[in-house]
Amino acid sequence: MLARHNQSKALQWLGKQLFNREDPAAFFDPLLERINPMWVQEYTPARVEQVLQETSDTRTFVLKPARRWQGFEAGQHVNICVEVDGTRRNRTFSLSSSPILWQKQGLITLTIKRLPGGRVTNWLHDHLDVGSVLGLGEAFGDFTVPEPAAPVLFIAGGSGITPVLSQLETMAAQDYRAPVTLLYYVRTSEDVIAREKLEALTARHPALTLTIIATHDGTAPRYLSDADLGTVPGLNARQVFLCGPKGLMDLAGELLQSRGVRERDIHCTFFSVPQANIEDQPLGGQVRFAQSDLEVGSEGDANLLEIAEAAGLTPRYGCRMGICHQCSCRKTSGTVINRLTGQKSGPGEENVQLCISVPQGPVSIDV
Amino acid sequence: MNTMTEAQLSELEQDLNAIRDEVVADLGERDARYIRRIVRLHRTLEVGGRAMMPFGFIPPVFVAATVALGLSKIIENMEIGHNVMHGQYDWMNDPSLHSQSYEWDTVCTGDSWRRTHNYEHHTYTNIIGKDRDYGYALLRLSNDDEWKPRHSLQFINYILLSVFFQWGVGLHELESERIRRGEIRLRDKLPFLMDFFRKGGRQAFKDYLFFPLITFPVAPIVLAGNVSANLIRNLWSSTVIFCGHFTQDAETFTGAECDGESKGHWYLRQLTGSSNFTGGKWVHLLSGHLSYQVEHHVFPDLPAHRYPEISAQVQAVCQKHGIPYNTGSFARQYGTVLKRIFAFSLPDRVRSKVPALSMGQAT
Ligand code: FES
Repeated sequence: MLARHNQSKALQWLGKQLFNREDPAAFFDPLLERINPMWVQEYTPARVEQVLQETSDTRTFVLKPARRWQGFEAGQHVNICVEVDGTRRNRTFSLSSSPILWQKQGLITLTIKRLPGGRVTNWLHDHLDVGSVLGLGEAFGDFTVPEPAAPVLFIAGGSGITPVLSQLETMAAQDYRAPVTLLYYVRTSEDVIAREKLEALTARHPALTLTIIATHDGTAPRYLSDADLGTVPGLNARQVFLCGPKGLMDLAGELLQSRGVRERDIHCTFFSVPQANIEDQPLGGQVRFAQSDLEVGSEGDANLLEIAEAAGLTPRYGCRMGICHQCSCRKTSGTVINRLTGQKSGPGEENVQLCISVPQGPVSIDV
Repeated sequence: MNTMTEAQLSELEQDLNAIRDEVVADLGERDARYIRRIVRLHRTLEVGGRAMMPFGFIPPVFVAATVALGLSKIIENMEIGHNVMHGQYDWMNDPSLHSQSYEWDTVCTGDSWRRTHNYEHHTYTNIIGKDRDYGYALLRLSNDDEWKPRHSLQFINYILLSVFFQWGVGLHELESERIRRGEIRLRDKLPFLMDFFRKGGRQAFKDYLFFPLITFPVAPIVLAGNVSANLIRNLWSSTVIFCGHFTQDAETFTGAECDGESKGHWYLRQLTGSSNFTGGKWVHLLSGHLSYQVEHHVFPDLPAHRYPEISAQVQAVCQKHGIPYNTGSFARQYGTVLKRIFAFSLPDRVRSKVPALSMGQAT
């Protein structure tokens, strides 16, 4: 996933002859890494320049990626990879800084909250210090600032604010003309991420209206309501961007719909992976792993990656949420359902991502 | 050999599983650091060896360069390639150390090796007729094969196999003996042969063409050094592998006794069909810890540097169940390998008259 294969064809051919690998430059990584971890070729290295404590459980990591990194647009995400207890883990985070910072100073930021029980986020908080180097993928995602400028409503929850921060800053720098409203939901007022920055942005950028709502400060929880939407002038003309925990996203979706906001004007970014509702379909089946000559049955919504692992196989994987394609494999026959989109595959031969493919009936995979 | 009851076998299975579970639960940073260090050592030796080779007109430099390159190939094949392809480091989720995509510095393609070695040899270990690694379908190493006059010269075959070991291993999947017997057709093996020539060509290109040519004025020296490095690796790896299964007391099995076997029986077969040899730290490293062949065969996908640590536990389990644990010095074990090759080059009538040539047998 984080690999780069942009060497010329001839070099690639030669590398294959000499080092038996598709990415010949990475042959030298074990040595280069010792001299300077920023010279590693297999992935784009990024060094931690600064760590800022945002709230009690949220930190912003300021990173300096190697110069060959391709840059990003406000609102996009990146995969990062770190080694936790000897195992490489890949995770996706939103970039919280604006692209201007990258262009001017070659810096980007990730704002990361400790998730209870989260293996990677906790590790990042406990081990990632100034000077550490992690692997960075290229940016992706289409949760980006509308162009030309249109009125915008952001609804963010908790650390779902991160891509919004990047967008707001970019909008302020561009002097974005259309009105922008942010409804930002946090548990308690202690949990506001980047409060100062948000306030500074509001002061600097007159088109921006900021409302921070603490859901659990009072005795009764105070969630997003229709009245909140009522405070947004010209709601139906706005592009709406949602980013936050699933409960908030679902609620927002319903309320917006009942106010007649059109589906195509609502943009979501995954935060927790949105999952299509596939429960009402028959799932599971006999799965054959051709290369290992293994056949196992599965029930319910177990995905092919889990099924393979339960059978003792170790297919390659990355994010385990359908993003990185590390787990892509050849399906030779059978139908699978994509658990992100709920779409059914054809019965024939095609590439599938194991981590989001749920078998429906007998399936044969080249693993 | 199977004198154990099903109940005993299932106890054996549990005892060994317990050892395995303990290691698996403990895998982590230490193992990652170990294999990374070995990979670094390999890169250093290879880069160093290749860089020194053009200066090989100075004799000590020639020796140093050749030894460095030879060692680099040995370490890459034995401790890195073989072990990585067994999936010992798959849990690290590092694409450069992943069993299914690793490609090693030898003629045999990774894919062919994964089929013939990981699957066939490790599943059907020492079952005569099923484990084609047993004698490489070239040598007669037990009396399950009927003696033929050509066997009398098999010592020469053995030496040739050792010298050209990487090519022999590369061609293993061709199953030339079955083609000769008319069981399969050469045509069926065309895809395999294509891969073989591609990979073999690649290996020959780099060592015998590319590196000599880019150092043109000293090409013969570089060529000689590269040939020698390959030879060192071939002789060493064939010796290590022969010591793993063809020693005096390593047992062989028949297909019938292994039909529908339990995991416990499989364990038993791995324990009695393999043999270890002792030695210093470097011997273990350079053999890819196949000096712990018994442990390797019982747990092929545990990181090999763990074998020395669990060896005492495995021995204790063997002792508890009255199973022999075959080990000895390298010289002793290798001596019995040579003896086996020689003994079975003789017709059984002759061999049985010489008590010194009695051998572990299929039962
Ligand atoms: S593991 Fe990342 S797409 Fe499946």
